[in-house]
Amino acid sequence: MTNNIEISVNSAACYKNNNIIFKDINILLNNREILLVTGPNGCGKTTLIQSICGIQNLESGHISLNKVNIQHQECNYLENILYIGHKNGLNDDLTVLENLDYLCAFDSSADSKNTKLIRKSMEYFNISKYEDYMVSQLSEGNKRRVALARLFLTKKKIWLLDEPLNNLDDETIKVLIKLFIRHQDNQGLIILSSHFDLSKELNNVKIFKMENQSD
Amino acid sequence: MIKAIVKTELAIYFRNLNSIFLPLIFFFLILSVFPLILGTDKILLGKIIPGMIWITVILTTLLSSNNFFRDDFKNGVIETYLTSDASIELVLFFRIVSCWVFTCLPVIIFIPLVSLLFEISFQNSTIILLTLILGTPVLISIGIFGSALTLGLAKNNILTPVIIIPFYIPVLIFSASAIEAVSIGLPFTMQIYILLALLVLVLPTMPYLLKYTLELSINN
Amino acid sequence: MNISKIANLRFFYTRTESIAFILSILSFLLFCIGIYWGLYIAPTDYLQGDSYRIMYVHVPAAWLSLQVYIIMAFSGFIALVWKIKIMEIASIQCAPIGAFFTIIALITGMIWGKPTWGTYWVWDAMLTSELILLFLYIGIMVLYSAFSDKRQAVKVTSLLAIIGIINIPIIHYSVEWWNTLHQGPTVTKFEKPSAHITMLLPLLYMLFTFNVYFLTVFIKRVRLGIYLREKNSKWLEEYLND
Repeated sequence: MTNNIEISVNSAACYKNNNIIFKDINILLNNREILLVTGPNGCGKTTLIQSICGIQNLESGHISLNKVNIQHQECNYLENILYIGHKNGLNDDLTVLENLDYLCAFDSSADSKNTKLIRKSMEYFNISKYEDYMVSQLSEGNKRRVALARLFLTKKKIWLLDEPLNNLDDETIKVLIKLFIRHQDNQGLIILSSHFDLSKELNNVKIFKMENQSD
Repeated sequence: MIKAIVKTELAIYFRNLNSIFLPLIFFFLILSVFPLILGTDKILLGKIIPGMIWITVILTTLLSSNNFFRDDFKNGVIETYLTSDASIELVLFFRIVSCWVFTCLPVIIFIPLVSLLFEISFQNSTIILLTLILGTPVLISIGIFGSALTLGLAKNNILTPVIIIPFYIPVLIFSASAIEAVSIGLPFTMQIYILLALLVLVLPTMPYLLKYTLELSINN
Repeated sequence: MNISKIANLRFFYTRTESIAFILSILSFLLFCIGIYWGLYIAPTDYLQGDSYRIMYVHVPAAWLSLQVYIIMAFSGFIALVWKIKIMEIASIQCAPIGAFFTIIALITGMIWGKPTWGTYWVWDAMLTSELILLFLYIGIMVLYSAFSDKRQAVKVTSLLAIIGIINIPIIHYSVEWWNTLHQGPTVTKFEKPSAHITMLLPLLYMLFTFNVYFLTVFIKRVRLGIYLREKNSKWLEEYLND
């Protein structure tokens, strides 16, 4: 029995500081689909993804998971989503391994006691040699890799990623794409924002182009 | 999950030894400044020493809890909290407690030494110790609340103390009057009960309030 | 249906222009009557002579400073829970008004203190609570101005106001209690039960007048808030060009 997931954004509008960021956004997304949010700088990609997470409040409209509004308790929305934002969400005072351990504790679907699996995820992203390094000592690209290592460890079905390909080299991008394909095969869905055109590497990609509202 | 959180908090604090010793050193520094300014008249110092200790404790807790969430906001850890299905209130509660353990507990442990240096009587120093133990967790919680309110604001160096100090005043008043009651010989149990009531009211509800405040402030 | 009409910013702005003007004339007249009544008609006090008359400004100002805080916290609560725009504007616009009343209460309190107790400032329960209330107001205004996104600012200041209102009774109780410990049972400034009706009546009248004045300033400030927020919208430009 497949758990069918459907995320719908209905007539969503968001304002910041009395300026319209976006309005009349309508999106429907199902299992095994990837939504690529793209557009020029400042068009509201981050705000859109944050509102799908539930972090950013909408001025009007609502977001539903399987026809239930995500703001309602019975939706159990947070049990199904994993959000990796523009900032990495890493603690500067911890090592890479400790950080992943800590982040797994916040992910109910990830087994935080399984250190072997965490090491495997580091191997997958080629950061094993930085296991005992403080995160503050790493380069921006490596920090991004640590943040994305959570994707290897989680079993959550809905991935919300804000510019995940930022700062990554080609090698890591290939590795990430493979991870996306694996997630798709597992009936998951991904919403991400990026400037790259991923429809060549991935199947089932819906491209959502946003525009600057202040023009 | 609790084990992971506690382990992480301890790791963060112990790795940065500054965070353990600096509040204590700051406390003694400010406490030493008072006699320098006010003169070494033993009788005068004996009268105002509880007030001196409390003012210094306020400054220490303010400065320690002021930037509690600053690095977390900068690194995006708050967003991880808010999109996680784990019990964030529990995490925040442990973080409040660990902040207290590492900033106020050293000060409390060194109060007997302060009593020796300033020749405070045994009863007075016991009551000072008791009011500090009951009052400082409340002060830390309120300070962390202030940090959550001003999340992400660039120039909030002195803004947070200005907002937060009026909320410190009840704790201060009851502690000061308890200490004074003991030094005169009047009963002090009512003040202690009120301080205890404040502690019991503020500490458990603060994680829920903090989570709500973080949800409000994250849209910065 | 009715409430959503009032909540509509445009409705409020367009309909209250004349009300604001009428109220300002009314409050000016009421104040004139009040000054005459308080300074001439009310009798001289047995104990304090004529200096007690400052009470006719001090007491309503202090009362209103607390009332405005309650209104601020209440409208902030509605703004947070039901997200009604006009309540957001109303909540933050109360803060400078309340701060103003608090300052008036403090200054008149000091003026009253000099002839009565020989000193300008006394750490009694009322004045100290007023001072702390002033700091609460200032905290809210300062927090509001630190944000660049004003709608975000209102949410945070509403929360602060609500927490503050829980704190006010605690502060007042603790200060009053601290004060009685220090000075023994003090004679309160206004012994209401034993005050003569000819002195009490102008006091109640002044309370009413101050409330009318508050309403005037409040409506004007809310209109100002709506103007600032809707500066770029079409309906406002059309309305102002008429």
